[in-house]
Amino acid sequence: MLELALSTVGCVLLCYTLGRYNRAVTLQRWQFVLNAPEREAIESLRQRMQLDSALARQAFETASRAREGDRHPDALTILRVALSILEDAGADRLTRLRAMGVYSRMVQAIQPLPAPSAKPFRGAQLRAAASAAGLVHRFLVGAEERFRLWLLVLGLGVRIVLRGGRRSAEAAARAPHRRRPWGAFARGMDDFDALDSSHLTAFEALVASLSAVDRGDRLRLWEQIAGGSR
Amino acid sequence: MSDLLILVAHATKLALLALLAGIVWRGRARLCWSFAAYLPATLLGNVLVSLWPTTFYTSWFWVLKQATYDTLKVAIALELAWRVFSAFPGAARTAGRVILALLVLSTVALGFLTPGSSYNTVWDWQPRVATAALWLLTATALLVVWYQVPVHEWQRAIMLGLAPYLVVFVALLDLLKRRGWAFREPIEALGTIAFLCVVLFWNWAAWRGGAPGPAGPAAGA
Repeated sequence: MLELALSTVGCVLLCYTLGRYNRAVTLQRWQFVLNAPEREAIESLRQRMQLDSALARQAFETASRAREGDRHPDALTILRVALSILEDAGADRLTRLRAMGVYSRMVQAIQPLPAPSAKPFRGAQLRAAASAAGLVHRFLVGAEERFRLWLLVLGLGVRIVLRGGRRSAEAAARAPHRRRPWGAFARGMDDFDALDSSHLTAFEALVASLSAVDRGDRLRLWEQIAGGSR
Repeated sequence: MSDLLILVAHATKLALLALLAGIVWRGRARLCWSFAAYLPATLLGNVLVSLWPTTFYTSWFWVLKQATYDTLKVAIALELAWRVFSAFPGAARTAGRVILALLVLSTVALGFLTPGSSYNTVWDWQPRVATAALWLLTATALLVVWYQVPVHEWQRAIMLGLAPYLVVFVALLDLLKRRGWAFREPIEALGTIAFLCVVLFWNWAAWRGGAPGPAGPAAGA
């Protein structure tokens, strides 16, 4: 009976994992890993982050000016635009964090990152999460585990900021004259920028780890993967 | 042997021949040589038992045949793991440790906790061997997904076919243990039908066209 239970569990696990497995996607990921555009990828990400930040800040400043001019409906509408920019940017960051988690398992060794710290953040929840992660960081030995902890904290941070942004926008809609929700939204945007900065650092570490593989070795490995198993 | 069993055995023979032709014609044999050896072994066992039942439809031959199949199933699992991870040293190290742990665990379970293998104690040792082979495949599958290692569709099909068949095999032996030898024939027929289904699935996988691979990094460099 034990063997039947064990073999059933094993079979379900195997069928689930291999049933969902997509060879074409895996090959594409390896193609990216072995042909990482390195500097271009980092620069492109940096520009995208700057653009997202500039758009969100411009929308927020316009909304603040409208509020100061007692045009509350306009202020709320523009504040929601700022929130939607942050939400889109957050979805992009979360997708990239997931991909970075996958790629981090595909490289042989990853460049070490410093311990997560609460210093760059302003929100209480985010500071608490970063402090806790800093503590956990000390107990982890491998650079890969520490890298994944970073990704976890960054993902959590993005979710905390977005949730805070939504709450602030709702509170601002309920009481347009109160300053506090606007202040909280502004702090959330600062935290989002700080998260972006850490996101870029993690991305740079990953790209550096990918590019550490010798070009000739990369080509040979690719031939082995795509050529040999075709 | 019942007429049904003979009929299913003949159908399995034809399916195995088609599968052998398929893996040779499509060049799949080189992707797992142990599997390429497993197929003629099962075909030979099938031919001997169904054409000369008085000589080969016996307990000693069943034990011999099963020992050969078990060895080849474990070899398939090990070869697949080796082929899949050989290009990836980091993943191969972890896979090696996991597989070694599974082999040690299965050897202890079979060597010290299982009574001696004989036809009369088939339900004691056979499920353990099948479970060990299945978990070797499962470990490979889990590590493949964890490390995002590319696996050929044919290798994936071998694992996806073999695992459910091994579960059915263990379940049928459990049934035999509960019901006794009086139910041997229907249980054997169910086992043969299950194997025929797996061979048909492998036929489909072997004969269909291979997935094209994307352009290499050199193309984008």
